[in-house]
Amino acid sequence: MTRRRILCTAAFLAVTGLLTACAGNGPGAAGAQGSDNPQNVRVYLASDTNIQELWEDTLIPAFTAANPDIGVEVQFDLHGNNQTQTVAKLAAADAQGADPGIDIVEGDPAQQAGAADLLVDPAGLIPGLSAVAPDIVAAAGPGAVPYRASSVLLAYDSTKVPNPPRTLDELLAWIKANPGQFTYNSPKTGGSGQAFVTTVLDKFVPPDVRAQMTTGYHKDLESHWDEGWRTLQELNQYVFQGGVYPNGNNGTLELLASGQVSMSPVWSDQFLTGQRNGTIPPTVKALQISDPPFTGGATPIGIVKASDRQENAAKLIDFLLQPAQQQAIAEKIAGYPVIPLDQLSEEVRTAFGDARPDQLRPTYFTDHKNDLNNLWDQLVPGH
Amino acid sequence: MRRRPIAGLLMAAPPVLVVAVFVGFPIATAIAYSLGHVGGLNTTIARIARDQHTVDAWWQQTFGAYTDVLGDARVVRDLMTTVTVTFVTTVVVVVLAWVIALYLRFSGSRAAQVLAALAVVPMFIPVVIASWAILTFYAGDGFVRSVAAQLGGEAPTLGYTVTCITIAMIWTSLPFATLMVTSGVQSVPNALIEAAADAGASLPRIVRSVLLPLSVVPTVIAATFTAIATLGAFTVPYFTGPNAPTMLGVDMAAFFQSYNLPQQAVVIAVIVFVIAAGIGALYVWANLRAARDAGRI
Repeated sequence: MTRRRILCTAAFLAVTGLLTACAGNGPGAAGAQGSDNPQNVRVYLASDTNIQELWEDTLIPAFTAANPDIGVEVQFDLHGNNQTQTVAKLAAADAQGADPGIDIVEGDPAQQAGAADLLVDPAGLIPGLSAVAPDIVAAAGPGAVPYRASSVLLAYDSTKVPNPPRTLDELLAWIKANPGQFTYNSPKTGGSGQAFVTTVLDKFVPPDVRAQMTTGYHKDLESHWDEGWRTLQELNQYVFQGGVYPNGNNGTLELLASGQVSMSPVWSDQFLTGQRNGTIPPTVKALQISDPPFTGGATPIGIVKASDRQENAAKLIDFLLQPAQQQAIAEKIAGYPVIPLDQLSEEVRTAFGDARPDQLRPTYFTDHKNDLNNLWDQLVPGH
Repeated sequence: MRRRPIAGLLMAAPPVLVVAVFVGFPIATAIAYSLGHVGGLNTTIARIARDQHTVDAWWQQTFGAYTDVLGDARVVRDLMTTVTVTFVTTVVVVVLAWVIALYLRFSGSRAAQVLAALAVVPMFIPVVIASWAILTFYAGDGFVRSVAAQLGGEAPTLGYTVTCITIAMIWTSLPFATLMVTSGVQSVPNALIEAAADAGASLPRIVRSVLLPLSVVPTVIAATFTAIATLGAFTVPYFTGPNAPTMLGVDMAAFFQSYNLPQQAVVIAVIVFVIAAGIGALYVWANLRAARDAGRI
């Protein structure tokens, strides 16, 4: 009965395989270093791998060299897949007065936590904050400190597109004239596609209405988006494969790098890093459009209210705002500094001369972004 | 042997408790949340969620979140897609598993054994990897279209389509169904088949009157497991499917993570749960029937 034995073995292996597949991938499954030092600061990063490398290879070694008695533990959550659960965890810890296991949150969840009143007010705690322009601080939302910025650019294959569009209207005309050659990632899966959608919607939103939608939540104002949704629906048939929007910022970058599309919106820092590493060929170039330009903005970071290590956490955030660290962010991930450029080196000043972070067009408030993701899924693909 | 109900109950108690605490209890709180109960254990999620429908007392219920979800044309469309993909996948998987099982049973050659072994291979490939492999295979610059272009033809681009989801679901579900059906068909005694053949039964007649009735239970198990796994699939439709229409597993994740609407996400989960429970009832019926046939109850 060898055949039956083979089947039995296969069945056993199958069950083992299924059990293994059930193993979790939540935050902490990957990066917890398991140190019990109560001086250590625990940072939750909800970003892409370039930010993880920035922290682990550059920022943390510099901080621990300057503050030998304070360690930094990173909890990395790729693309913020578990960010809703993490903010829920902070809310639970806050309600119970328990240790949340996280002292600092970075990225979108910082804005979400700030809006839910789960972050400490940084004014007074962080002296370096005075160097950051007040409107950048205001755009980060309550409790959040902006510490690096980036914007979305239009990347194009210069071998196929000799004269790239320079304004939004030219871009929309180009997409219609070159069917199948443009795409952007679905807005819920990454900021570059979200910036394209936001920019098209903005074409029809009056500036004073938009200003309200970047600093607070006013659901009734979303009616100004209607015209923009119609424009995006009309683009479906001209987009890659008649309306395919890949998942994640990297999804569009891969299509662009492999030549399947010849134009797409990209994050400035991801594009520059990819070009440096060789994943994006040198023939692919990027530019900023105008009327209106793509959105960009500062990434927030904040101290968790329920944390009992706030002093060290404030020390770390203050450290990030110092010129040496801002310089490192500019060099490592091509991130825009948030402090005035005259405090930084000559090279950084020339590289970011035209891209003043205080002039970046801010994106919508978090709740509006959630609605935008939802409405796009309802109204755009398949219509 | 005399039956001892107390001892039996005690032996069953630990697993029942574990299931009740770690599975049943969260399901109960989630359903309560979907009906508007935001107190108690649902306080935390309710604190950060948006657009919630709430009630003031424990005896009240609100179906607001259900109206939201079922009034959303996208969810209804994705529900239809999910049911269609589930139905097609289950039928194709069961038919393919039967073809492999019959080939192995009646041929028994080395080729048949190799085929049966190969059909199980996808089980050992992680679903994420398989999804990417299938996507690139059928993509615009993938293998299928490259071969067609070499031969001077044009093959359709199946990447990012519902067809691609169905192909990938069949690919990932086939191994388990093949194992179940093959072992079921193999365990039918040779004597029965030979007796039928001696009485002049043709091959189709033997399959219909001997093999099929004796392999109903493994077939139903294979079908229910395939259907339930397809119904709740996330990875395959997320990677290989279009942005719209998509399957409910993807919608659930989007409602929960990207739109920050956990209550509505739970409502979709309840809908999937109800359909899966219907399929599960079939499985229980098949098991009961098998137990009755064997004289155990």
